[in-house]
Amino acid sequence: MKASIGDVVLPGDYCEEITVAGEKAKVIIGPGLRRELDRVYVTKAGVLKKRNPCTYWVDSYQKRYVPSRGENVIGVVVQKAGDIFRVDVGGSITAALSYLSFEGATKKNRPEVQIGDIVYAKMLVASKDMEPELVCVDSHGKKGRLGVLSDGFLFKCSLNLVRKILNPSCPLLESLKNEWPFEMAAGMNGRIWIKANSMRETIALGNAILGAEYQSDEEIKVICSNIASILAGHIS
Amino acid sequence: MTSNTHTGTTVTIFFEDGRKFNDQRDIKLNVNAIKTADASAVVKCGNTTVVCGIKLELAKPKAEEPDVGFLVTNVELLPLCSSKFRPGPPSDHAQVISNIVSDIVTNSKCINLKDLCIVPDKLSWVLYCDMVCMDYDGSVVDACLITLMSSLKTLLLPSVSFDVETEEIKVDTTIKTPLPVNGLPIATSFAVYQQLSRSVILTDPTAYEEEMCGGLGANLIACWNKGQLCGVFKFGGSNLSTENEKETLALAKQKSKLVEKVINICIENKS
Amino acid sequence: MGQKDDIYQNFQLRPMKCELNFLSRSDGSAILSQGETVVTVSVNGPLDIKTTSQSIEKATLEILFSSKGGKPSVADRFKENVIRQTCETAILGCLYPRTGITITIQELEDYGGLLSCAINCACLALLNSGISLHHVVAAVSCIVDETGNIVLEPEYQQVQSAATKLYFVFDSRDKNLVTGFTEGAVGEDMYLEALEKCRAASDLVFNFYRDVVTKYSNVI
Repeated sequence: MKASIGDVVLPGDYCEEITVAGEKAKVIIGPGLRRELDRVYVTKAGVLKKRNPCTYWVDSYQKRYVPSRGENVIGVVVQKAGDIFRVDVGGSITAALSYLSFEGATKKNRPEVQIGDIVYAKMLVASKDMEPELVCVDSHGKKGRLGVLSDGFLFKCSLNLVRKILNPSCPLLESLKNEWPFEMAAGMNGRIWIKANSMRETIALGNAILGAEYQSDEEIKVICSNIASILAGHIS
Repeated sequence: MTSNTHTGTTVTIFFEDGRKFNDQRDIKLNVNAIKTADASAVVKCGNTTVVCGIKLELAKPKAEEPDVGFLVTNVELLPLCSSKFRPGPPSDHAQVISNIVSDIVTNSKCINLKDLCIVPDKLSWVLYCDMVCMDYDGSVVDACLITLMSSLKTLLLPSVSFDVETEEIKVDTTIKTPLPVNGLPIATSFAVYQQLSRSVILTDPTAYEEEMCGGLGANLIACWNKGQLCGVFKFGGSNLSTENEKETLALAKQKSKLVEKVINICIENKS
Repeated sequence: MGQKDDIYQNFQLRPMKCELNFLSRSDGSAILSQGETVVTVSVNGPLDIKTTSQSIEKATLEILFSSKGGKPSVADRFKENVIRQTCETAILGCLYPRTGITITIQELEDYGGLLSCAINCACLALLNSGISLHHVVAAVSCIVDETGNIVLEPEYQQVQSAATKLYFVFDSRDKNLVTGFTEGAVGEDMYLEALEKCRAASDLVFNFYRDVVTKYSNVI
């Protein structure tokens, strides 16, 4: 079936608009789309989206992470094997993280990473045929926000939820950050790490994030203020 | 898998063994090959070899169907026939083939199970039909049905007398009556090879061709019996359009007539 | 032509109801009822599997069918095979080499058409899981009753008394036949007529899929 931008699409649909656009300019086809012969077919169920000038993708629901290059993810170190750490990021196999890919790490000066530690890292290599590879530094050798996350609380959620709360137009974090102080790291692999001053605040934060999954922007604002007032002790 | 022979403007495409796409492999059939079985047949379709043996036993019919006998078919794919099969309990594929063969036999109603009953609620025949594949080179369902039907057609049932009072069973092997077989279901396998947007139908594929067309169990199997379809099976593999479907049904019909002739001639020559 | 259209418009399938993401812990799940028949399916994957069953070309598909009684049988293996082969054509397995995708099917109620309900439900669960698919599939079953009429998606009593049952699965791209099998003898014309009717009816199933996805798309 033919589909156009903004439509609800099913796998097997094709979009002629993309083919036509592709004749004139370079187009980028994102997740959920695939070129076969001279047509662009949809491979996931969801909504077909476009960003100007020529980027197309399908917004779909997903829980299982499939590694993809350049994404920031949160993983748990499960094994130390010689020069590398194996990190569980929720994909089909563990990802490799070299001990040299930390800021300031040398052969002599090894980073302090233990089994069970939570790391916030970037996918450097992600191909369907190879083991994914993580790094905790950017191309300038600086760690930025990447690295081991100590303390805090890690929980899993659907990949959509992470994309949703990281969307600049989503009011969730905007409303929460005014209510009480906290730290947060969201991995594109459907894992969120949070750290607040008290257990109570951490739980409230986690519930607010998980509760936002199926809510509209307006509803999210209401939830946030409700949770804030419960936390502040106005409502018991 | 194919070689193109250019002769002017026409292009003829052949299988690797020189057949055309809708030619089938030669069939060699031998009935009553196993003397210890009550009926048997060996068939070779190209390299695919299947042996069928039928063992007769007597049993009490099921209480819910007192006037019905038993026909038990089983297909074995041992490691002997192909490296694809491992020793141990029957593989999923063997179970599926078994299921297809027994489905075809039941659907075609070629054996009336009531004929197998001797005394209702007391005694009936059990036909154990075991098919063993010796060489797995594709289209194994076709070969299984040919051996099974030739064996059933040559099967002679000894006369049995049953004393209702003493429940004594006497089997007289000197007087034998043939089992009535109603029709002759013949299956034909097809592999569908997807070539970009069009698909090519290969009749009677070998194991290599099956592998190229979606692997084990992706064949299209069409079974004809007395001008009626008694089973069309297709599980996945490449998708099939209506024209191709009609084409395969016609080819299968053609082949079923030919194979029927082969079986009948073979049985006549033997007796 | 007008008359032919009438034939195709007058049929309807049993009412379908579906809930996606029915199970919270699996990667994709769905519960589907077609009439009285109810099936739930969970999809997990792509996952790590043992080296012996890995394929370097495509994802390995593992199907588990549990009937209501729970006792495994040869008939269950047959159903698993049908579902495996059907899903294998639908899934773009080449995108997930050396991994495994597990599909677990639990029969809840069987009032006829169990297998077609299971296939449709598996397809919905795959849509929910976000695994890339080549196309979606729609299964439609029908019977030929004593008078030679074709009844689509028959009721339980009709299934029990029917001499011939036919099952077809179509893909969404060209409406080609993916899977098909028959129980009982049938004439060629009747077979082709049933095939065409089911093919036309598969549109209803595809539309249903679209409705379900539309319902869930506004929360993504």
